[in-house]
Amino acid sequence: MNKNQDERIAVAGRIYDLDSEVCRILGTRLSRVFNGSRDATIRELAELMTTRTTGHLLRSELAMISNMARTIPEKEARAKVMTEYNEILHLVEKIPTSFGTVDILDENIAKLNAANLSGRFAEGNHFIVCIGRSYGSAGTDIGFALADKLKINYYDTEIFVEVMERLEAGQDELEDRASFAHHQNLNQNLGLERNRTIRQRIKEFNRYHGLPKEDAVFFNQSDLLRDMAQKEDFIVMGRCADVILSNLHIPHISIFINAPFELRARRVMSTDNLSYKEAVKLLHRLDRRHSHYYEYYTGREWGNSINYDLCINSASYGIDGSVELILRIINQHTNHNIGNQK
Amino acid sequence: MKRLIAILTVGAALCLPVMAAGGEEGPVQNPIWLCIPFALLLLSIAVFPLVRPMWWESHQPLVVILCALLFLVPYSMLNGVGHAAELTAECIINDYLGFIVLLFGLFCVAGNITLVGDLAGSPRVNVALLLFGTMLSSWIGTTGASMLMVRPLIKMNSWRKRKRHIMIFFIFLIGNIGGCLTPIGDPPLLMGFARGVPFFWSLRLMPIMLLNAAVLLFAFYLVDKRAYRKDIAMGRKPDISKPGTDVHIDGAHNLLLLGVIVAAVILSGVMPTMPIFQDAQGNVLGLHIIGDVVLTVPTIIECAMILSAAWLSFRTTSVSVRKANHFTWGAIEEVAVLFVGIFITMQPALMLLKANGAKLGVDTPMEMFWATGALSSFLDNTPTYLVFLTTACAQGFTEGVVTSLGTVPVQMLTAISCGAVFMGANTYIGNAPNFMVKAISDENGIRMPSFFGYLLWSLAFLGPAFLLDALIFFR
Repeated sequence: MNKNQDERIAVAGRIYDLDSEVCRILGTRLSRVFNGSRDATIRELAELMTTRTTGHLLRSELAMISNMARTIPEKEARAKVMTEYNEILHLVEKIPTSFGTVDILDENIAKLNAANLSGRFAEGNHFIVCIGRSYGSAGTDIGFALADKLKINYYDTEIFVEVMERLEAGQDELEDRASFAHHQNLNQNLGLERNRTIRQRIKEFNRYHGLPKEDAVFFNQSDLLRDMAQKEDFIVMGRCADVILSNLHIPHISIFINAPFELRARRVMSTDNLSYKEAVKLLHRLDRRHSHYYEYYTGREWGNSINYDLCINSASYGIDGSVELILRIINQHTNHNIGNQK
Repeated sequence: MKRLIAILTVGAALCLPVMAAGGEEGPVQNPIWLCIPFALLLLSIAVFPLVRPMWWESHQPLVVILCALLFLVPYSMLNGVGHAAELTAECIINDYLGFIVLLFGLFCVAGNITLVGDLAGSPRVNVALLLFGTMLSSWIGTTGASMLMVRPLIKMNSWRKRKRHIMIFFIFLIGNIGGCLTPIGDPPLLMGFARGVPFFWSLRLMPIMLLNAAVLLFAFYLVDKRAYRKDIAMGRKPDISKPGTDVHIDGAHNLLLLGVIVAAVILSGVMPTMPIFQDAQGNVLGLHIIGDVVLTVPTIIECAMILSAAWLSFRTTSVSVRKANHFTWGAIEEVAVLFVGIFITMQPALMLLKANGAKLGVDTPMEMFWATGALSSFLDNTPTYLVFLTTACAQGFTEGVVTSLGTVPVQMLTAISCGAVFMGANTYIGNAPNFMVKAISDENGIRMPSFFGYLLWSLAFLGPAFLLDALIFFR
């Protein structure tokens, strides 16, 4: 079965390279079929080859490359590319689970523990923990204490600041929608500013490449997280980092920290000096906002346990207990050295 | 109910024998099965790309020739080789030549204009571009606007996985609906203009066009937003690593040449009515080809202007612009091959329409709208428009728009114009830009729906919009 998977990866690599080669010869990126990163695309293609139910998609991806290849004006280059295309087509047809004739599923794919923690980190991978949390659950304190114990960096609003620098935008122009930085949350403006002049709008349009600025920030955050993941171990709070890293196939541990609503409200009353009514209102607003933010950018349900490696009710363990619990999980169930540094 | 009756009437009429000009002996009745090659060709376009895509790509000309012969051989046997040759020449010289030269010119000139920059396709940018293109269509033609805007839109959305709907709504709006405001927009309106409909009369269609644009753009925004979110959720993102956007147009001087082509189109509608291009009997001057077929001077001038613009465009634009646009001849080649077959094989259906148009009993704006539209979806919308305009004019109205064919009430002309222009969007073959946009998209990494798949999109989105038009404007 592993041999099959290797074959699929190899063929997927050749498909990706063929697409790149055709675009290189044509001297344009306009006709590129695969615009994602090499690794991600190869994985996607290999998945397409996994079952015959998605075989037609692979067939049309290949057909699109051949459409392009046939437009190469130089005869020799076209012949070379078409030969490679035909070889790939032949190989794909031979893979039992592609759009060939035999319908065999890869058993590895069906294994429940195919992506379990014990085998997640390969040599050279950095240790990354993504923590999602509801406001008032002490998630920020837990994340900070965990980073301290593991002696790795802790990132929250720092990412937003860095992104603002990348976008050459003033922080006051944008709010950090993924952050729980308190003052901002209390005064947050959920809608866009409405009184901008046409000049400001054009400036924004230009700065954010025509994208809504929240989306431009999100895309830049994704790039930043990818860059950071190649350089260091760290803990990152929120920002859909778990899904961003999953999409980039960067190994990490995802944790969601929550607590009963009443207890969160009491905590917010004491930490933020609010009345019960104000605390409840704030929590409802923030939960709604973060649920919407997470769903918008990931298509997943915020706080749903199936999206995380570990979900913790911090009220049951307290801050220190939660940190201990997470460390125990890391030590006992992951194959990364970082867990043993304590 | 009336609409249903109108459609049934049209359907019933299709079962009547085809009438053809029979020379001195009078009209000859041709059997209905002469329409079969047209249906076969449409079926081939719909089915072969799905079941045998490779084979279809290399055998399109053969299929086209076969279908054309399937019509021409029996037609020759029934009407004589002379009539068949005249019909073919008429179809190629008077219909196909102007069509393909215009398409070719716009394809070449637009292919030499490229939008450089790193604007990222998002729902709001796409809506803005579609709206801009829709407004532009009436002033440089649906084909001109489509050719000009298709590549920038593809480029901006190249980072996305789900993008076929963008091109489908592009065809709906820029390739068809947007062209209803002036005679430059769509050939049927140009024919109307040539027959006395005032140039700016079509601006009256603005409220209907705006309603359609609003409904479709709203639907598009919802569909695109959903697709955009799915793309983001699966980790797709545009390359916006550089702060700021640097957008500029390379080959901008070609916009002037585009103007030349638009001028040629307008002249093609104006020149035949000018005395300088007419002989003493009022016939348009030209080269006699065969029978009554004449390659008119205005057509020659139009073609010369368009081809000169295309040639100049190539001479004055760097190859790098065409490379950046992934300019190839594939799309125009495919359209040229398929449409020569479509133009020839649709002749019996058009003859049928011409012979029976007046007998269809279609005499209210609502019926005109649906009947013109339904037939324009599959047949050339220019002759369809003319048949129904003639039918309406023949009803003896005394008030309305005065044309060389007679007087037609404003609402009736509105319905015929909207039906012919809007419903060309219903199928890939309904209007020239549709298939071009499909072919260019196919060549540039967008998996466009099949013939029937596209038809489903039309039914789902255009159907309700047209129903709204009918209920609000043509009741």
